Amino acid sequence: MKYAARIGWWLVFIIGVLYFFIPLYGTLDFSLKSKPFLSAYTAILNDSQFVSTLTYSFVAGILTIIVSVLIIVPTAFWVRLKYPGLRPIIEFITLLPFVIPPIILVFGLDNTYGHQPLALTNSDNGLNVLLVAAYVILSFPYMYRAVDTGLRAIDIQSLTEASQSLGAGWIRILWQVILPNLRTSLLSGAFLTLAIVVGEFTIATFLSRPAFAPFLGLVGDERPYEQAALALVSFGITWVAMILIAVIGRNSRSRIRVTVG
Amino acid sequence: MTNAALPLSAPGTPAARPVRRRFGWGWLGIVPFLLFAFLFLIAPTAYLVVGSFQNAKGALTLENFQQLFSPAIIATYGNSIEISLVTALAGGIFGFLLAYAVISGGLPGILRSALMTFSGVASNFAGVPLALAFIFTLGRVGLFTIFMRTVLGVDLYAGDFSLYTKLGLEIVYLYFQFPLMVLIIAPAIDGLKKDWREAAENMGASSFQYWRHVALPILMPSLLGTMILLFGNSFGAQATAYQLTGGFIDIVTIAISRQMRGDVLYDPNLGYALAMGMVVIMAISITAYSLLQRRSERWLK
Amino acid sequence: MRTERSTFRLASLGAAVALLFAACSAGATTAPSVASSVAAPSTAPASAASSAPAPSTDAMAALVTAAQAEGNLTTIALPHNWCDYGDLLTGFTAKYGIKINELNPDGGSGDEIAAIKANKGSTGPQAPDVIDVGLSFGPQAKTDALIQPYKVSTWDSIPATAKDPDGYWYGDYYGVLAFEVNTAVVTNVPKDWSDLLNAEYKGKVALAGDPTVSNQAISAVWAAGIATGGSLDNAQPGLTYFKQLKDAGNLVPVIGKTATVASGETPIRIAWTYNALSDKDSLAGNPPITVTVPTSGRFGGMYVQAISAFAPHPNAAKLWMEYLYSDAGQNLWLKGYCNPIRYDDMVKRGVVDPAAQAKLPDTTGAVLPTLDQITAATKVITTGWPTVVGATIK
Repeated sequence: MKYAARIGWWLVFIIGVLYFFIPLYGTLDFSLKSKPFLSAYTAILNDSQFVSTLTYSFVAGILTIIVSVLIIVPTAFWVRLKYPGLRPIIEFITLLPFVIPPIILVFGLDNTYGHQPLALTNSDNGLNVLLVAAYVILSFPYMYRAVDTGLRAIDIQSLTEASQSLGAGWIRILWQVILPNLRTSLLSGAFLTLAIVVGEFTIATFLSRPAFAPFLGLVGDERPYEQAALALVSFGITWVAMILIAVIGRNSRSRIRVTVG
Repeated sequence: MTNAALPLSAPGTPAARPVRRRFGWGWLGIVPFLLFAFLFLIAPTAYLVVGSFQNAKGALTLENFQQLFSPAIIATYGNSIEISLVTALAGGIFGFLLAYAVISGGLPGILRSALMTFSGVASNFAGVPLALAFIFTLGRVGLFTIFMRTVLGVDLYAGDFSLYTKLGLEIVYLYFQFPLMVLIIAPAIDGLKKDWREAAENMGASSFQYWRHVALPILMPSLLGTMILLFGNSFGAQATAYQLTGGFIDIVTIAISRQMRGDVLYDPNLGYALAMGMVVIMAISITAYSLLQRRSERWLK
Repeated sequence: MRTERSTFRLASLGAAVALLFAACSAGATTAPSVASSVAAPSTAPASAASSAPAPSTDAMAALVTAAQAEGNLTTIALPHNWCDYGDLLTGFTAKYGIKINELNPDGGSGDEIAAIKANKGSTGPQAPDVIDVGLSFGPQAKTDALIQPYKVSTWDSIPATAKDPDGYWYGDYYGVLAFEVNTAVVTNVPKDWSDLLNAEYKGKVALAGDPTVSNQAISAVWAAGIATGGSLDNAQPGLTYFKQLKDAGNLVPVIGKTATVASGETPIRIAWTYNALSDKDSLAGNPPITVTVPTSGRFGGMYVQAISAFAPHPNAAKLWMEYLYSDAGQNLWLKGYCNPIRYDDMVKRGVVDPAAQAKLPDTTGAVLPTLDQITAATKVITTGWPTVVGATIK
């Protein structure tokens, strides 16, 4: 690659890094102003709610990712393969979560599932189900877009026909042929979904779930230094989680490339 | 080994079973999605549509929608659209460059994983922590502001600039727009096969020509599609804007939350109508995108 | 190979699900929500309150038993550092053994009403039992049949102007608007509203909320107006004042929070005394905070309590009210720097907590608006703000 081009790309990268890290450094600087030094961080680590709410959000996130992948991948696959006419409708539905304010969604869920026979709001477990369902909905725009982009990059028509000529059924095709080829997309989708879940505030609050974002908001009201520290620590932990997901993803089956004709 | 249904193409292919109509199977793939969307998205938010046509007493009326055309609310939509367009474009372009830099720009491979995983987190770093992070950095007594003033002698706030303007808000929004672009466009950049670049160079094409005639046309549907996503993402953002602008800059999401919540009793039906307006705008964007995409996708299969 | 990977994934999935269930059942409650806007009781307690009648022992005992049988109470929008709700909540559980499920700490009054509406008929943990809302919300909730009446045993010592005669809602505490000043950044503490317009405070003053939405912010605009020529019946001068403040460059168009005060971005914040004082306590000198009540334009805001008409735990709700309106409960509010509604009666009977009383800032002359005045002024300010003051910032 030409020298000048490479310098150019390095420059782009460095600008990106600066843009992302300077505000984080600003937060760090503020959090270090607590007295005694680092007390903001020790206070967090001693707070039992920190661990419990973060764990709750992470677990919710993982469940959301799994359900979302199970729903979106077959859908995107079939739309691309056989029903391109349905694409605009499906896309519109997946983009609806953007334009429907979460507050409206949550009140709607309360109204719909607050009475018999679908009374999900009467119990903690029911509310947890509602929460994961709502988060799956929130993940649709990102998961669908990521998977769709990934599917566009592989030739699913040929892959499907080849697999079928080898005798594979639909489930096998999806699970063993298509899914492994979507590794990058699924990882992006998974990252985005996990981040959404950990950062989501409104729905968790109104479904009164012990999630992380409401806890973060609550801390900020009275303890600003700890809130800053908390934001950074959770940022770091979520980043580590992403790296773990990426590493696990890498270890799984490598890409299958089928070159046809 | 069982034979799945085979297309009756080659003559003499033994059909172990009668051919099943593919049509039947296909629907099964989409039904879970539709069912899920109906149960947890459409049904609960149906009252949004219904409520937008009602007034406080429940009677059917169009006055909520009429109010949408008042100058104040049109200005509000204008603000939201402007901010979303700017951040979608800026976020799309620089996000794409950033993604390309780590994927095909000759940078060490580990930077790619670092950027991807970081983007995952940053794409949802929003709301009060993000607003505060920028206040601590670019505010009147922010770290960066002070640095510029003391070290470089440049007073950011001497002129018109302030973090608490539309421009400031856009700068903050980019913090989750860039990562979103990076994450979603990455698979598309991966799909740009190296052989195409080599083939182009072998035929004597310059970098510029490669981009103009090969890479960009291929990437255009994905680029546009993702920018629509960025547009929607920015349009729907609320908490960050609320903290940063304190309600001084009117955008649609803040207007909606004012009607729905707050310490002062207001008009939720108007809130529903405002939300319907958002839905309409997104519908228009998607239609525009679909049309554009159909034209530019001619290159791909 | 293939099977090992799938098994591993299934096992992780199973573990994740198990974790989730474990985490949930480990008793989840959300953080307490922010109390809604503070309401101001009328100037002087109308009736000279008689000594609070001791609740009839039988009735109280029966209530306690019934409440304990319900076992739970769901509150909403009560942050722990707002009027010391933290101590009240833990104290209630300690005294009666009733668990409290706290919803939506950051919520406003509108959220509380919306929560009642959205959860009608639900007996689950999301339906609030009791609410603490701005004064203007009480009568509206009564009209909308969202609350049920209950007169606590100390009912008579609540000033008549601060309660609904039928017992649907009743004032609980009030506070006065003050300047919360970060004295590490601002050494010359402003004494009055007119001081804020001085050039030395350029880029330093902020409201604690959005004046089209937050009661605290609306009250600030109103109070500034009263100090500069307006009155309880005329809130327009408040808008003029803030326009001046903004044009002078003194007003920072951001929502002032503890964090922005501490960082120096908004070293002067206009907030209720109890919020400012509680910030001062929690920041503990880092940075040092001074809370001054302006010399003119002293303005108080009152909040009211009510029980939801659809409360899943009505007896626990009533017991909670008894607790709040007992001398002990009122003193805890006082400890949180809020003036409890039965203050004058308690002073007369000499049961006020002297330490807490000493910490209260001097608020003589504070005016407290009536419901009609609030409605009118709110309309003026919320509709006028975008055009007069807000306008389009670049």
